[in-house]
Amino acid sequence: MLMQLTLGGFAQGAIYALIALSLTVVYRSTTVVNFGHGDFVMAGAFLSYVLVVLAGIAFLPAAVLAMLAMFVLGVFFSKGLIRPIRGGPHIGLALMCISAGYILRGIARMVWGREVLPMPPVFDIEPIFLGNLVITGDAVFIIGTVFVLLVVFFGLLGLTDLGKMVQAVYQSPRGARLIGLNVERFNDFSWGVGAALGALGGILVAPISLLHPDLGASFLIKGFAAMTLGGFGSLGGAVLGGILLGLAEQYAGAYIDSALIEITAYVVIVLVLFIRPHGLFGRKAVVKV
Amino acid sequence: MPSSRQRSLRTWLFWAVPVLLLLTPLATNAYTQFIINGMLISILVTLGFTLVIGNLGQLAFANTAFFGIGAYASAILSAKMGLPWIMTIPLAGALGALGGFLASSAALRGIRSYYLAIITLAFGELMRWAYLHTKPLTGGTDGLPLPRETMFGISLSDDTLKFYIFLAVTVVLVKATLNLLRSRFGRAVMAVRENEVATASLAIPTARVILTTFIWSGFVVGCAGALFARHVGHVFPESFGMLHLIASFAMVLVGGLGSVLGAVLGAVILTALPEYLRAFPGMEELFFGLIVAAVLVAMPMGLASLLRRLSPIFVERYYREES
Repeated sequence: MLMQLTLGGFAQGAIYALIALSLTVVYRSTTVVNFGHGDFVMAGAFLSYVLVVLAGIAFLPAAVLAMLAMFVLGVFFSKGLIRPIRGGPHIGLALMCISAGYILRGIARMVWGREVLPMPPVFDIEPIFLGNLVITGDAVFIIGTVFVLLVVFFGLLGLTDLGKMVQAVYQSPRGARLIGLNVERFNDFSWGVGAALGALGGILVAPISLLHPDLGASFLIKGFAAMTLGGFGSLGGAVLGGILLGLAEQYAGAYIDSALIEITAYVVIVLVLFIRPHGLFGRKAVVKV
Repeated sequence: MPSSRQRSLRTWLFWAVPVLLLLTPLATNAYTQFIINGMLISILVTLGFTLVIGNLGQLAFANTAFFGIGAYASAILSAKMGLPWIMTIPLAGALGALGGFLASSAALRGIRSYYLAIITLAFGELMRWAYLHTKPLTGGTDGLPLPRETMFGISLSDDTLKFYIFLAVTVVLVKATLNLLRSRFGRAVMAVRENEVATASLAIPTARVILTTFIWSGFVVGCAGALFARHVGHVFPESFGMLHLIASFAMVLVGGLGSVLGAVLGAVILTALPEYLRAFPGMEELFFGLIVAAVLVAMPMGLASLLRRLSPIFVERYYREES
């Protein structure tokens, strides 16, 4: 029982980690929190549905195509809608993200109405039985994909020049500009990466859940909860926060009450912000006057 | 700044609008009357929202929660406790104010900007979860119907009677908010928005200013919730979800962040338009999303900034045009 819950928690947590990571990527380079990110996740899931079910493309190429499309969408969103209001108050940026999310959601609902779409199963792997433990193909695939992706992601950040540039822009956009980095283009790129990573989260969830246009809202909150728990702006914290949230949901759902699964994320947000606002790994906010 | 003659003209105009509105039931049918009643509710919701995000400058999205709290409080008090509905309005406002107090306690613990946005969003969703999972009290997904009631011998399902009650509540709350913003307190609210540390250094109790603004915003929106409960006659959890939030955003932004006049304009314009979109799924979301994006890029300070250029009568002292 405990092992089964832990496995399920890791699979869910891997997706939350991915969403929190994609939020953090955007936040670190642009200091904008994407309040419409849940709908980017939803859009990724719907795109993969369209490509797999309606266009008849195999799941893996469809996933890559959907991520590419979301990358382009992210870049255009940054160029077209975020840049013009960059200098303005944060409230405008937050509202812009929310409205972008609503536009995506509105489009999804216009096309699909109030239907709930089941995605055909993709991972036709026989579950493995280890004693009482059932290891499903989905869980293996999700955990495996996210793990590989994290290795590649952190490898790129830690070992390459690109990683150093990311760090430079995060620490001081102005300094990065002085040493000749094109910060504007870099921000567009971050939006693209964030959108593509979030979309991957949606693509991974699509085969194991039902698709509907309101899918994003709960993922947004879970991404926030993971990010808050790990500490805002910390990439490793986002991943760990996601995994911990996934585990917490499973345990709370099984041992206390199944209705708690839905609100674990909210409770985590409220508790963390009241008790330790900078999370596990975040930097303490210092107010400069 | 308007001259003294213009100021008296403005006062005159302020009172002329509701007096003229008293006549509207003569010229409307049941459907338009229903829409106009909805506008009055939207005015209060937008006003409460703009106070916190526009005047105080805090990223707090708990207003949908205050609205839901007010509506459920009104429905529960009149359906389960048998209070006359009219009595539940101030009580719903008080509970909304309690919600405002909770939201501000987060702000006062140093949870600001994005953190405040996230925690208030979570608060709103938690409340919705609570409506769904406390079935004996709220009716869960079936919602809670309000009992039939009469006032002065007229049934409270009559839209004309509702209109007069809604109008009275709206005028009182709008006037009270205007007075509040014109006072020493209103100046403090604006000062906190501009620079909280500098404000504190002038010996203005910033914490108390933030707390009071949240509480007043909660009160206004809670009262609006009570009106809404009677307006639709049946409260459902879905009414207090994300669509309501984006609609309130759009109303605040179209009118102009932090402008009372703008709150009224935005609410009036955006309550009527989407009625036509309701038949098409997704159109409402798309519409509000596009409006907010367009206003942010093209007209960041909303309609109020256009009006004040038209005539000094529309200048509000505590509403800043440049961002």
